[in-house]
Parts: sequence; C-alpha cells; structure tokens
Amino acid sequence: MTPHQRDSVRALSLLGIALFACPARAGRIVTDQTGRRLNVPDHPARLVSLAPSVTETLFVLGLGDQVVGDTDYCEYPPAAKLKPHVGSILNPSLETIVALKPDLVLGSPEANRREIADRLARFGIPLYGVTARTVDETLASIVNLGNLLGHEAEATRVVSGLRARIGAVSKRVAGSKAPRVLFVVWYRPLTTAGAGTFIGDVIRRAGGEPVSGGLEGEWPKLSLEEALRLDPDVILFPRSESFSPDLEEFQKLPGWRDMRAVKTRRMYIISDAIIRPSPRLVDSLEEVARILHSEGRAAEGGPR
Amino acid sequence: MIVAATRRNALLVSGALAAVLLLVSLGALCFGSVHVALRDVWAGLTGSASTGDWAIIVRDIRLPRVLLAILVGAALATSGTALQALLRNPLAEPYVLGISSGAALGAIVALWVGGRVAAASPLAAFLGALATTAWVYLLGHRAGRLASYTLVLAGVVTASFLSAAILFVLTLLSTRDVRGMAFWLMGDLSVVTDTQLRILGPIVVLGFLVLYAFAKDLNVLLLGEEEAAHLGVNVTRVQTVVYLLASVLTGVAVALSGAIGYLGLLVPHLARMLVGSDHRTLLPAAALGGAIVLVLSDTLARTVVAPSELPVGAVTAVAGAPVFIYLLRRTAG
Repeated sequence: MTPHQRDSVRALSLLGIALFACPARAGRIVTDQTGRRLNVPDHPARLVSLAPSVTETLFVLGLGDQVVGDTDYCEYPPAAKLKPHVGSILNPSLETIVALKPDLVLGSPEANRREIADRLARFGIPLYGVTARTVDETLASIVNLGNLLGHEAEATRVVSGLRARIGAVSKRVAGSKAPRVLFVVWYRPLTTAGAGTFIGDVIRRAGGEPVSGGLEGEWPKLSLEEALRLDPDVILFPRSESFSPDLEEFQKLPGWRDMRAVKTRRMYIISDAIIRPSPRLVDSLEEVARILHSEGRAAEGGPR
Repeated sequence: MIVAATRRNALLVSGALAAVLLLVSLGALCFGSVHVALRDVWAGLTGSASTGDWAIIVRDIRLPRVLLAILVGAALATSGTALQALLRNPLAEPYVLGISSGAALGAIVALWVGGRVAAASPLAAFLGALATTAWVYLLGHRAGRLASYTLVLAGVVTASFLSAAILFVLTLLSTRDVRGMAFWLMGDLSVVTDTQLRILGPIVVLGFLVLYAFAKDLNVLLLGEEEAAHLGVNVTRVQTVVYLLASVLTGVAVALSGAIGYLGLLVPHLARMLVGSDHRTLLPAAALGGAIVLVLSDTLARTVVAPSELPVGAVTAVAGAPVFIYLLRRTAG
C-alpha cells in the first residue's frame, strides 16, 4: 500500500466509524408543537425529557427504554425516577444533557426557559417543543409524539382508549347542574389557574364551571374579595410537595370562612396530575367528575 | 417653656397624622376589586352585617388587611427610626441589617421542608429574624461595645448571604411552588387570621411604647456614644434594648406580611423632614407615617390590576426607590 492508499483507507474507516456512531444524522425538517422548525433525526433513539408531562407521555407510548434522562420532578411512572436526572425543570444542567448524548431533547415552552433550545442547538442537539392548552390538544400532542418517534400504533391505541374514557365521563355528567369550581394552586396570595388553560377545560368536561374572575395567563393571582364575590360551590387544591393545606384551617381564615365551599366543606385535595398535560389528565378528569357529581359521598372526598 | 412647646408640637403633629391615617384607612375600606356600597361599608364596620351582604368583604377581608397594614407599617417605620438613631447611620433599617432576609429564609425553609404551611411559616420567619439579629449583634460587637459601622457592615454581608441562601432554596423547588414563595420575598398582606392580629397588635403597641420611653436617650445618642456616656446615659443598655426591640418589631411584621422593602428606610427620613429629629416627636410621626404609607400602598396593590393583585412589596419598592433618590439629591444639593 502506498502512503496515499493508506491515508484513503484510514479516512474511509474513520468515515465508517463516524457513520456507525451516528446512524441517524441524516434527519428531516419538522415543525414542533410550538411552531418552531427544526432538524430531527429519522429514528431518534436516545431521548431526554425536560418536562414531567412529556416523560409520562413517552412511557405511555412504550418509549420508556429510549428515555436516557429526565428532570428531578419526573416521578411518574416510578420507572421515570430511576432515569438519570438532568436537574430542575426551569434550570436543567446543560452539560448533563450533553453528556447523555441524546439525539433528541423534548421540552415544553410553559416549563422550560427559551434559552435552553438555543444553547442545545449549539451542540447540534435539537429541542422539540411539546405544548397543549386543552384536553383535545393533549390528545393531539400524544398522537404527534407517536408520529415523530415512530410509535404511531401505540399512540392511536392510547388515544382511542383515552377518548372512550372522556366520552364515558361526558355521558355521566350530561344534564347535571354544573357546580362553580375554584381551582387554588396556592392560597397566599390566592393563585388560581387561568380561564384558558387545560385545567379549566378539565373542570368544564368534568361537568363543572371553572371560575377565575376572567383572569387569563397560566397562574393568575385572584383577589380574595373577588373570590368571595364569585362564591364557588367547590374548591379544588392540587397536591404539591410543599403545599399540604390543612383544610380545617380555612374555617378560621377571614374571607375564606365566608365562602360557600368552605362552609359546606366542599374542598378537596386532588392529584397533581391535573397540572400536567399528559395522558393522566384523563385520570384527573375522572377524579374531578367523581368529586363534582357524587353529592352523597362528598364528605369523604379529600384527605383531611 | 421649650419643653411645653415641644410637647404641644408633638401632640399637634401626631394628631394631624392620626387624622390622615383614619381618612386613608376609611378610603382603603371603600376601594377594592369588588364594588361595595358605602352603606355596606358602614354595616361591615359596625358589625351589623349578616352573611351574604357585601359588608362581609369589608369586615372579613378589607378590615383585617387594613389593620395589618397599619401595624406592619408602624412596626417597620418605628424600627427603622430607632436603628438609624442607634447606629447614627441613615441607611440602617431592618433590611440592611439582614433581619428581613433572615425572616424570609426562615419561612421559605419551613415551606421547603414541608408540613402544615399556614401555622409553621410565621413562627419560622420570626425565629429566622431573631437568629439573624443575634448573629449580627455578635458580629457587631467590639471590645464589649456595639460598634455602629461594624454592625452595619455585618448586617449587609449577612443580608447578602441570606439572599443567596434564599435563591439556592428557590432553585431546588419546582416552578409552581416558587410562586408561593414570592409572597415572602415581595411582601403581601392578603392573608391574616384574627389570632395573628391579636398577637401582633399588643406586641407592636408595647414595643412602640418601650421604644418611646428611650426617646430622650436616642436624642442624646445622636451626639455620639462618648458624649452620651458623659451625659449619664447607660449606652450599652440603651443599645441592647433598642436593638432587640427593633428586631422583635421587624420580626413580627415580616412573619405576617413577608419582606416589605423601603418602608423602614424611607419613612423615618420623611418623618424627620416633617418634624425634625427629636425622637419624642419623631417616633410617633414615623409610626403613623409608616402606617399611612403602607395602607396607601396596599390599596394600590389591591386595585390597579383588579381582580388580580400585586404584592404590596412591589408597590413600595417601585415607589420607594425614586423617592429615595429624590431625598438623596435634595440633601446633597
């Protein structure tokens, strides 16, 4: 072999190794759920999720094995807890993400900071934005992820199952009087969910009328006197790691104690799945429907 | 003769400010995101309201809130006035000395560790304030004496360390939980129980009265520690008692309202411009002034973005910084 030939062979073998190492670099241009256009590999096999809702969806679609990293807050399903964590949702560790060598990162514009996408792009790692503002959009988002990741059949099966359960709830609550529901993320200051969020949509589909004083945005603050004027029939609190309200305490809080829902003790701590646009949103839909439309068993609702 | 004039002057100023406070408070009871008719405002005040009336809003939401604003405003301004005299430093105030940050960190750690939030946090905030006070006090001591500049510097460094600790805890929390913490960082008067008001009220009134008893000593201390000692003032005792009282006042205020900035710094200066620096007149003027400013700020916080609300600390900070710069230019020029 001449030196020239030797060089060629070496170059070719290097190329071969390179091709083998990243078989899917070819990719295609897609538009993600937020309208951004990005280059995504054809068969992404190493996924990092930056939002608990996305992690849940990936596992439901049978893609759990391909998740190589998720956030500190991804605790459902339990297997998600065992994945390497890349940090918090708001501030994930860029170098941990890069070290995991993902070929696709999935995040949510509601949870993650904008800069993360730009910084990942510099390492050639695409960030696919996942978003949903209603129950329907959540289902569409699941189908979209199924198509993106080559699990169309699973997505179709999952979504048709969810649709059947949503239909069953609608049938059950149809014709019943809709109680007025105040969703309280935090009581000091009183923070609720905006009228246009998927939380409002879940309450509506569960046969309730969400009240938020017409406030928009994700988590608007509502004045206590406006809440008293709205006088909800039911108050729902999502469970949270740092918010475990003693429901009895509201009986003593000025303003709160005058509300109908407090006086009739129709206050419930519900699963925090309702704050995540994932397949479990339908579990929440069923839970809320159960609370709103089983008057007889209202007293045994939330844990005290 | 002079004494009589001072006393008359003090009474006059206090009376006028009390009248303003009464008017401002009545205004605060009338305005809010829900329109309440004057008739109902009256019914709410006289307690003749029954359930279902809007008077309930006045009695159960606005009245406790106005009372809290009065007590917290008075406590912070009194505490700031006393500390500025004690340390002969125009920047001395509960914030600069780290007391507010200590309270905020206490509350946030209590929230982070979890548990039944509503009851634990004010207590944790109060303990955080006292621990910070003790720490800064120890650092500020030199040769058995409170060294004013050392104390202020110790306070500034402690405050910045505590802020860093708060930010650290915040990064450990999910976004949604951070929103609840904002309360402690920016101040908010929206939730107070009757019991909390019943505890806060006597502490603020008593704390003010005891501080007032030291008014003459504070006047003498303004001349300098040596001079005060020559004039027969037990400097160490005055310093210790006044510093502790100022801390307790701040601690209880922050425990129930979160960290409300600028009030303890600015109101004493404004009051001094109004009545001079005789603490027998200045302390009541500052207390009433603090109450007026906080009731006004909270009314703004409740109404400008109704039916949503702003944290009152954001209002005092946005209004406070320009006022401070104005005062600075005025005295400098």
